[in-house]
Amino acid sequence: MTVAAGIGYALLALGPSLALFVTVISKKPFLILTVLSSTLLWLVSLIVLSGFWRPFLPLNSAASWPFAVLIITSVAFQEGLRLLFWKVYKRLEDMLDAFADRVSKPRLYPTDKMLIALAGGLGHGAAHAVFFCLSVLTPAFGPATFFADQCPKLPFFLVSSIIALAFATIHTFSMVIAFNGYSDGNKLDQLFVPVVHLVTGMVVRTCCWSYYCNF
Amino acid sequence: MFLVVILVAVLNSGSSSSPPTINTIATIAYSETTSDSTWDKLKGALLNALVFVVVVTAVTFLLVLLFYFRCTHFLKLYMGFSSFIVLLFLGGEIALFLIRKFSVPIDCFTFLVLLFNFAAVGVFAVFLSKMAIIVTQGYLVAIGMLVAYWFTLLPEWTTWVLLVALALYDLAAVLLPVGPLRLLVELAISRDEDIPALVYEARPVINHDQGSGEYEGQRRAWRRRRELGNDSESDHNIGTSDAEVTAPLIQNRVSSVVDGQESSVASTDNSFLEGIGLGSSGAIKLGLGDFIFYSVLVGRAAMYDFMTVYACYLAIIAGLGVTLMLLALYQQALPALPVSIAFGVLFYFLTRLLLEEFVVQCSLNLVMF
Repeated sequence: MTVAAGIGYALLALGPSLALFVTVISKKPFLILTVLSSTLLWLVSLIVLSGFWRPFLPLNSAASWPFAVLIITSVAFQEGLRLLFWKVYKRLEDMLDAFADRVSKPRLYPTDKMLIALAGGLGHGAAHAVFFCLSVLTPAFGPATFFADQCPKLPFFLVSSIIALAFATIHTFSMVIAFNGYSDGNKLDQLFVPVVHLVTGMVVRTCCWSYYCNF
Repeated sequence: MFLVVILVAVLNSGSSSSPPTINTIATIAYSETTSDSTWDKLKGALLNALVFVVVVTAVTFLLVLLFYFRCTHFLKLYMGFSSFIVLLFLGGEIALFLIRKFSVPIDCFTFLVLLFNFAAVGVFAVFLSKMAIIVTQGYLVAIGMLVAYWFTLLPEWTTWVLLVALALYDLAAVLLPVGPLRLLVELAISRDEDIPALVYEARPVINHDQGSGEYEGQRRAWRRRRELGNDSESDHNIGTSDAEVTAPLIQNRVSSVVDGQESSVASTDNSFLEGIGLGSSGAIKLGLGDFIFYSVLVGRAAMYDFMTVYACYLAIIAGLGVTLMLLALYQQALPALPVSIAFGVLFYFLTRLLLEEFVVQCSLNLVMF
């Protein structure tokens, strides 16, 4: 639906992430690197998942259970990756602390640690928005639009932008919660993140669309 | 890189089925047509890439020889001439495409005057470093963009095989003791001269020393020339129009600054963190050829779909990061091409084959995670 609408959809999905990036992250180069590396990590995980699922595609869209399996495996893989990210982060934190001691500067504050977690989450969220929303947005720059089956009243691009926005927020902040949970050993926090991820993934596919879309 | 993507997207969306076939040295061995079988295409592409690499090697050795005989002035003149030609002819060609696409009302004489001035200022900006850095950077980006766009007009298989071949050549040329680039760097270091080069200086935000451009022994990244016989289909007959190909060297200037300025010498941690910009005090210089080939990769990815563009962009940045880390580790001239090109090509093919189907299926069924 023309270039203006296309840019609108892109900003809808990425707006808050961009705002966070410009205000918080662009001040410190290390955080930019964290964002880039976490984006790359998410992309690699996505490629691995798609490699695994490629022989089974295209899935029969009528039945729900193949998608459920897809979501469960994908979420499990990504949560495992989050744990890995945490381990790497611990090692990096030790290195940075040692360096700070050597240069006799103060160690990492808790806010610094949360900033790094935020940057990591933002990388994941931005990667999700880019790969699930922006990359299919290319036809939206043309003169027409596309409607998906589940939601015949809203254009598909709008739907995917809104979902991408939601997921970007979820990814960003779940990284912060997860890191806090891991460092404090708080089981509730640790479990909260994967559960939220899984539930959102499942719910997006099925529920309530008929209610929201019929207006 | 971003500009090349835009350019490719704009100009290719309106193009007809058959792209103009360019007869260049790169396709001299084999002109690929879409009706050939896969094996033929692969053989042809390999042959093209081989010819190209051989020509590049020969010209690099010539450059080393000239540098050895201290013909630096000649090299500088030649480089100025070459960038003038690139800006004038290639820039003019692209401008003509754009004018035709957007129906910009401009007449012939105004266009020529503007183009000539643009090219002339470009040459001055690139070679006299007294201009504002933003102008110099802008012109370097323009040159890189133009050359990269022309590379994307090559047939597809040839482009990919060429990229891989150049990455391998770069690895050989910089790391092998007999490699021409290594010889060049050693000559420059032993004489403490600067190599005439097109380098892009990336100044970090916090710039402590303003005189960072004038340091001795600074300019290590450089480029070499290559004759590109270009008989394009358009009217103007250019005998040979030169295009720059840089030998991708990347040297971290920051480590030399650190050694000079601080008595507590950089441990690997320190230079690692300096290299990634935590304590930024200098500029990292990157040869223009690196940017050109990255842009070629991304431009070629843009010809398929935007998802490949994002994936390749991330891959190239990751490769650059890895190269910078290796640079901090090894503290010597390193080729910047191989890692990034390897990642880029790998991610392109993975994305094209695996990811795209997966994501499109998932998005259409509103399955997201």
